[in-house]
Amino acid sequence: MPTLANMSLQFGSDVSSLLNIVWLLSFFVFIVYGQRIQVYIVGNDISRALNRLKLMKDKSRKEAVDYFLGTGKTSADPAVKIDEFLEYVTIMPVDLDPQGIVGKIEHITETRDERVRSEVKKMLPNAEPIKVSVAENILEIASSLNMIHKIVRHYYLLGKKTNSYILLVQLQMIMPQVLMEADALINAVDTFKLGQPVGDGIGPIIASKYMVNLPKQVVAKDTVMSVTEYKGRTLYVLKAEGPMGYVGEPGLAIQRVIEEMNVPLNAIIMVDAALKLEGEKTGDVAEGIGAAIGGIGTDKFRIEEVSSKHKVPVYAILVKQSILEAITVMRKDITDASDRVHTLIANLIEEKTKEGDKVLLAGIGNSLGVGQGA
Amino acid sequence: MSTAPAPQPPQQQTQQGKAKFTVYTIEECPACGQKTKRAFQVGDYITKDSANCSKCGNVTKITLIYAEPVVKSK
Repeated sequence: MPTLANMSLQFGSDVSSLLNIVWLLSFFVFIVYGQRIQVYIVGNDISRALNRLKLMKDKSRKEAVDYFLGTGKTSADPAVKIDEFLEYVTIMPVDLDPQGIVGKIEHITETRDERVRSEVKKMLPNAEPIKVSVAENILEIASSLNMIHKIVRHYYLLGKKTNSYILLVQLQMIMPQVLMEADALINAVDTFKLGQPVGDGIGPIIASKYMVNLPKQVVAKDTVMSVTEYKGRTLYVLKAEGPMGYVGEPGLAIQRVIEEMNVPLNAIIMVDAALKLEGEKTGDVAEGIGAAIGGIGTDKFRIEEVSSKHKVPVYAILVKQSILEAITVMRKDITDASDRVHTLIANLIEEKTKEGDKVLLAGIGNSLGVGQGA
Repeated sequence: MSTAPAPQPPQQQTQQGKAKFTVYTIEECPACGQKTKRAFQVGDYITKDSANCSKCGNVTKITLIYAEPVVKSK
């Protein structure tokens, strides 16, 4: 006959046995199914991010369609044409034999840009150039978001299909950065629609100060130049033509100034926005040597080629900002750097050149909302 | 920067990420240097001729356009 004390002892040992079994079972489950559980958790995380990307992609497409409908008489339903644009691909040249590849890349990107602009002009036949350029920029944003969504979806589905934990975890690790870039792109749409200068436009803003009331000449596609005098030096100032959202072809422009217009330059000063590192302050200014220009690399290549061939020193002035700040409306922190940049330009000209020398100042970046004076 | 108050059109606020911004246009008189800060209007761009100077009557030029964070009033 079990006593009460014995019963409680038996009950206690039963509970601990049960816990032991649960513990052993869970141990067994995690050993066998651990990776599947992790795949499930990581997959859910990516799925949520993918939904956010899809919302952004759809919003940018809608914004593009609305902009085309609101800007002028479009010849047909713009949605069909815009969907075609979003799927438009640029096939980069083969790089097995890299000799001459920059020229090929330049040719391909120029052809693509020309095609996009002519199609946009066809869709908005009576629109002003600034609106055509804004439409081009909005299409580019929508196209980038479409591509980001497609690539992330591809790896997500591939990871799930193959139950590849490694693939999914890698995707999950880079998702915060992907979402940050996508956020920057979607936020840029409003700025472009309103024609406001973007953070990347700090270079053109600096250059425009030297160009007001001076005659302009077109030196390359969407790129204008003025010639002025500064402390006894001849100053050639160039920027992308504003207030359209163009970046121009500063590489080709500088090459033409040196080799076609035969200007014996003594210095090139480039002012551009630069991506700041985490911890750096927006609007910090850095000085350096070399071609300060981003993009696919063709302009940088041309500037490096022509400057090294003719032994022209290239000085860089960079204004730090984040990716979000670079493609959204100009912040006060960035414009506050203007005075410091003007001082650095003056110092460079005075210290590195002498009276009678010829200096080229290039304001690199998107000229949206930044004219160059009458 | 010394700026004179100008008649303010309704301020357009723009959302950038989590922060809200108001975009301003700075007009500067090339003759007397008077600077005026007003809310951005669609069509404004840097170097564009703008309103007449409130001090000397000359045509002002837009010299800057920038966004400032909206300060929450407590």
